[in-house]
Amino acid sequence: MKKTKLGEFEELVLLTVAALQQEAYGVEIKRELEERLKERLSVGSIQSALKRMEEKGFLTSEFGEATLKRGGKRKRIYATTSYAHKVLSEMKEIRSGLWNSIPTTAGTMTPELKVI
Amino acid sequence: MIQTNEISPPKWPVKFLRFFIKKEYLEEIEGDMEEVFQDNVERLSLSKARRMYTLEMLKLLRPVLIKNVNGFQRINEYSMFKNYFKTSFRSLMKNPMSSFINVFGLSVAIGICLLVYTFLEYDRSIDKFHEHKNEVYLATFYADRDGTVQRYGTSPRPLGEMLKQDFDQIKKTCRVEDRSVVLKQGDNVFHEQVRYADAEFLEMFTFPLKWGSASSLSDLNSIILSEDMSVKYFGSENPVGRDMLMICDDQTKKTFTVTGVAATFPKARAIEFNFLINYNNVRVADPQYDVNDWKEFLNATLIQVDNPSELKAIAQGMEKYTTLQNEVQHDWAISSFAFEPLSTLYEHSYNIKNCISQDYNVEGRIGMPIIAIFMLALACFNYINIAIVSAAKRLKEIGVRKVIGANRAKVIVQFLTENIVVTGFALVVGLILGVLIFIPWFVQFTAWPLEANLLDGNLWIFLLALMLFTGIASGIYPAFYISKFEAIRIFKGSLEFGKKNPLTKVFLGIQLILACITISAGVVFTQNNSYQRNRSWGYNQREALYINVPDQSAFEKMKVVMAQDPDVVSLSGSMDHLGRSVSTAIVHMPPNHHYEVNQLSVDANYFETMGLELIKGRGFKEHSESDKQAVVVNELLAQNLNLTEPIGHQFEIDSIKYEVIGVLKEFHNESFFNKVQPTIFKVAEEKDYRFLSMRVKSGYEAKTYAVLQSKWTKLYPEIPFQGGHQEDVWSGYFASLDKSVAFNRIIAIVAVMLASLGLYGLVTLNVAGRVKEFSIRKTLGARLHNIATIIMKQYILLTAIALLIGAPISYMFTQAYLNMLFSYSMPLGFSGIIISMLILIFVLLAVISTQIRKVSKSNPVEGLKAE
Repeated sequence: MKKTKLGEFEELVLLTVAALQQEAYGVEIKRELEERLKERLSVGSIQSALKRMEEKGFLTSEFGEATLKRGGKRKRIYATTSYAHKVLSEMKEIRSGLWNSIPTTAGTMTPELKVI
Repeated sequence: MIQTNEISPPKWPVKFLRFFIKKEYLEEIEGDMEEVFQDNVERLSLSKARRMYTLEMLKLLRPVLIKNVNGFQRINEYSMFKNYFKTSFRSLMKNPMSSFINVFGLSVAIGICLLVYTFLEYDRSIDKFHEHKNEVYLATFYADRDGTVQRYGTSPRPLGEMLKQDFDQIKKTCRVEDRSVVLKQGDNVFHEQVRYADAEFLEMFTFPLKWGSASSLSDLNSIILSEDMSVKYFGSENPVGRDMLMICDDQTKKTFTVTGVAATFPKARAIEFNFLINYNNVRVADPQYDVNDWKEFLNATLIQVDNPSELKAIAQGMEKYTTLQNEVQHDWAISSFAFEPLSTLYEHSYNIKNCISQDYNVEGRIGMPIIAIFMLALACFNYINIAIVSAAKRLKEIGVRKVIGANRAKVIVQFLTENIVVTGFALVVGLILGVLIFIPWFVQFTAWPLEANLLDGNLWIFLLALMLFTGIASGIYPAFYISKFEAIRIFKGSLEFGKKNPLTKVFLGIQLILACITISAGVVFTQNNSYQRNRSWGYNQREALYINVPDQSAFEKMKVVMAQDPDVVSLSGSMDHLGRSVSTAIVHMPPNHHYEVNQLSVDANYFETMGLELIKGRGFKEHSESDKQAVVVNELLAQNLNLTEPIGHQFEIDSIKYEVIGVLKEFHNESFFNKVQPTIFKVAEEKDYRFLSMRVKSGYEAKTYAVLQSKWTKLYPEIPFQGGHQEDVWSGYFASLDKSVAFNRIIAIVAVMLASLGLYGLVTLNVAGRVKEFSIRKTLGARLHNIATIIMKQYILLTAIALLIGAPISYMFTQAYLNMLFSYSMPLGFSGIIISMLILIFVLLAVISTQIRKVSKSNPVEGLKAE
C-alpha cells in the first residue's frame, strides 16, 4: 500500500485536475494554478507532483492529442481516481469540522488561522 | 502561428532534458516545455524565452522525473556513502606507506598549484587598485628605428602642457621626471631616486596618505615620502613638518618640508614612488632644464579624461604633435602618438621601452604554470600506479560488493569518492604546505610580494576545482580498471593482476621522463651558472674600481688624491661608465639611414684603464682637438652597418660629422641577460666627467677600495660614497642567477622525490605481492643476485626506454629554457644530460635496492606462512 499522505501543493494540483476534467494536462494545470495562486510555477514542480500522485494512486493518465505548438508531442491527460475523490472529501470534512469547532470570537482574534 | 522550426528552444537544454528525463515521461514533458516556451515567446523576447527554458529545464532535475541511474535510486545513498568514507579511511590506514606517498605527493603538487595561483593572481592584480585606472592614460609614441617599430613610454617635455591647452576633454595632465639626488636629514644621508611630478599625480593614482595632505604637492617646497622612506629617515614618528635637504651637487642644495607620508602601498604594484616633489623643482636640480624643448624627453606624461570614449577624439588630434616633434627632431623621427590606459599598462609594458611601469614577470607567467602542471602530473601518475597495484589487495572487497549487488558504476563511484576523500585530505595538507612553506620560500627567493589571501572566494573555487579535477583525473582510470573485474573470477583467484598492466608501465615511464627533464634543468642551470661566472666580460673587470661623482670639481679633487696612490696603475674620467651608465644616440648615415646606438663618452685613458681591447685602428689621444670628432665603435656596430673597412668611415650624430678611428673587441656593457648592443665611444668634455675609474695593481683591489672610500668621506662628508669594484656592477645579475639555480634545483629535487616515491610504492607493492614466490625461490637456494635480477628485470627495460625518450626531450627543453632566460647561455653539451641521467639511475637503483635488501633479509618461512 502506498502512502496516502497528500501534501498541500499536491492537494491543490489534484483539485485542479478534478476541476479541469478533459483539459487536465501539464501546461493547462500550470496555467490554472498560476492564475489562482497568482504566482509563477515551474513545469518541474507540477510534473513531479503529478508523477508522485500517479504513483500513489490518486491519478490515472492517458495520452491525448498532439499539437504543433507542442512540437508534435502528445499531451498526457490526467484524471482523478475514485480513491482520490474519497481522500479529498475526507480532507475537506476534516477541515470544515475543524473550522466549525473554532469559536466565532476566536476567528476575529486570530486572522492568521484563517489562512490555514 | 509562429513557425516552430524557426523559433525553437535552445539546443543543448533540449538534449540534456532528453538525456535525464525518464523515457516514459519524456514525450509529455518535452511537449509541455515546448508549449510553455512558445507561450513565452509570444509574450517575451526569444532570448529571454530561451533563458527561461534553460531555467525550467534545470528545475526539472527532480528525483521523480529523472532516470534511475541503474535502478539504485531507492537504496539509502547516505549510508552507502558513509560506508565508502569508512572503507576509504580503512584502506588508507591499512597501507600507511602508499597512502603517505599518495597524500604527500598530491599535497606537494597542490601546494605548488596554490603558489602558482597566488602568483598569477598577484600578477593579474598589479596596478589594478587605482580608482581612475580606466580614465588615466600614459602618452606613448611609436618610432621606426632602422626598420622595426618600437613603442616608447617617454614623451617630449612640452607635450603634457600642450595637450591640456588643446583638448577640453583632458581634465588633468601630469608630467613625471625621475632623477637621483642625495637627501640629507640629520645624520641620514643617502643617494635617492626622486620623482618630480605635477600636483595631479596623487589625484590620478590612488595612493592615499597616512599623514599630511596630498594637495601639498603643488607647493614647491614640499616633499611627500613613501612609508618605507619615512621609516628610513624618521623611524616610526610622524615626520610632517620636518625638513629634508636635497643635495644635487656642491653648490646646488634645497631644503624641503615633509608635508605627507603615503600609506603602505598595495603589494601588487608596478608604479610607486619613494619621494615626490613638485615637477617645477626640476629646474632647481638642473638650471638648464627647458620644459618647452621638444628635443628633450621626460619619463612620463599622463592624462586623465572623464570618459574613456573621449580618447578616440584625442588620439585623432595627435597628428599635429607628430609633425611638430619631427620638425624639431629629424633624427628621432616618430611615427605616431598613442595612449595606453593605466588598467592595461602593466600587461603591455613589456612592449613599451622606457616605460614607468616595468614588467618583470614574463618568464614567471610562462614558467610557473608549466611547473605546476609537471608536479600535478607526477603526483597523479603516482596515485594511478599505486592505486592499480594496491587494488590487488582489495579485490576480495570488490568481489563481495559485486556479489551483494553493486554494479560497475557503483564500484567506480566508490573509488572516485575514495579518491576525492584522499585528494581532499591532500588539499588540506597542501594548503598548509603552500601557505607556510612554499609561498614564504618563494617570496624569499624572488622578492615577489606574494601572499595567499585565504578570504578570497576565487581561491576556494580554484582549490575546489583543483580537488575535483585531481581527484577525478587521478582516480578515473584505476576506478574503471578495477571495477571491470567479475566477481566470479576474483573469487576463483584466476586473476593475473597488476603485474602485467601495460599502462602502469607507461605511467611510470612518463614519470621518469618528467623527472629526467626537471633534473636536467637543475643540472644544466648549475653548469650554466659557473659558465656565466667564468665567461669573459670582454674587458678586465677584476682590477678596476670606479667612483661616481656629482660634478667636475669633485672629479678633479678625487683624481688628484687617487693619482698619488702608488697602487693605482691608471686613472680615467668619463661621463658614462661600463655597466653603470650609458646614453643613447642616433647615428645618421646618408642618405636616410637612422640607427640607434649606445653611447659612452670617455677620456683618452678609458680603454686602457678598463682593459677594453682595440682590434682595429687606435684609441683617443689626449688633448687632441681632432679626436672630438672621432668615435670608436664596437665590433657589432661595424658588422651591423656592413662596414668592411670601418676605419675612416663617417656618419652624423646630431648633425655633427664623426669619423670612426677604432674598433673595439666585443664586450658586455650589460649583463649576459641582455644582448650586446651596437655601441660607440666618443670624447667627453671635462665638465661632464661623472665617473672616475682606475686600474689597480692585482691583489690591491680591496686596499685601494678602502683608500678611495676614506678619501671621499674626508672630502665630502655630506655626500655618501657611490662607487665600487667593477666586478660588482653585475652583482644583481649573479644574485638572480644563484636564485634561479637554487629554484631549479629545488624543483628538480621535488620532482625526483615524487618520481622515486612513486617508484618506491610500486616496487614495494610488487614485491609484497610476490612474497610467496620469493620465499620459494629462496628456500630452493636462490641467491641475492638472482632475486635482484628478477626484481630489476621488470624495471630495466622501462627505465632504458624512458631515458631514451627523456634525453632528447630534456635536451630540447633545457635549451629552450636557457634561450628564454639568457642572451648568452652556455653552449649546451651532452654532459648535463648525462649527469642528470646518472643521478636519476642512481636514485632508481637506491629505491629498488631497499626492496631487494628487504627480501634478502626476510625469513622465507615467514613469507610462506603469510595469509
